[in-house]
Amino acid sequence: MTVRFLRNKVVEVEPQPDGSLVVSWRLTDDLLKAEVNLKVQPPDLEIVEAEAKLARLVPHAWPSASEFIKKVEGVRIGSGLRKIVQGMLGGPKGCALLAHAVLESGNAIILNFTRPVVQSGEKLEGDEMLENLKEMVKTNPRLLRSCVAFQDDSPIMQGLDSCF
Amino acid sequence: MITLSRSHVISAEFPDEQTIRFNGIQDDHIYSMEITMDVRIADGEILAIEGIMKRYTNFVCPQAEPVLQAAVGMSLREEGWERRVMKEIGRKGCEHFAEIIMECGHCLDQARLSRAMWESLQNDPGLDQEQFIQTWIDGHPEIQLS
Repeated sequence: MTVRFLRNKVVEVEPQPDGSLVVSWRLTDDLLKAEVNLKVQPPDLEIVEAEAKLARLVPHAWPSASEFIKKVEGVRIGSGLRKIVQGMLGGPKGCALLAHAVLESGNAIILNFTRPVVQSGEKLEGDEMLENLKEMVKTNPRLLRSCVAFQDDSPIMQGLDSCF
Repeated sequence: MITLSRSHVISAEFPDEQTIRFNGIQDDHIYSMEITMDVRIADGEILAIEGIMKRYTNFVCPQAEPVLQAAVGMSLREEGWERRVMKEIGRKGCEHFAEIIMECGHCLDQARLSRAMWESLQNDPGLDQEQFIQTWIDGHPEIQLS
């Protein structure tokens, strides 16, 4: 059966020589073409530049992307980002697509920092692997109960009660 | 160089007039997952769902596959549906599965609109597509285009 709708999205993180991170978010589907580019400055992960373009068949009610995205300049990628971005870009007069783009770009930044941690532990086996996972939870308490792997009854969490 | 890349590919087919079938793939340097789910068009209720974990980070992750069945009965139109998906599927199972379900949900009305426009273009290749979209949006107050 042929598909009647197809959406492709890609988000990429590219570290820059000056230490900043550029995130490129792009979407293309049967109706829309969208692009959001953010420049993020460590260590506090502030969005210092934001650009956006919407094309193809854009609903009339959506605001001008290139101006609207500027609202997120100065926002830091960290806790509370979802609420901040929804408040700035969401709602009936906002643009949910741009809000999603910024949140997914922020998530990509976090994944960019997660990747080397995951890679460094992937050759471990048995008890060493388990200890490495436990250590990861100790140093990242936000993982606690974040998914099935870090629920109280998970083997990874056994013996960590006293840490939290 | 690019140090992290994530792709989502969402497709939609219409096996019958009442149902839309999504296939969603999330693939990045760390994770790779896929979901297929049937959704009732009228109210956005998830009727059936299956998921496959292809790349993940630890040995507990695959336990999230059966948790996916908690999505059956959820509506992609109810108030706060994204929070519910993240809580019931993401927190209790896998956040990446939850992200794919949400991405499919965001495509629900886009897919309906895309199909409607395709059919109209078969009869009228010169259709004013921008006007068609506006008329379609005005005629479907339930939609959430994103």
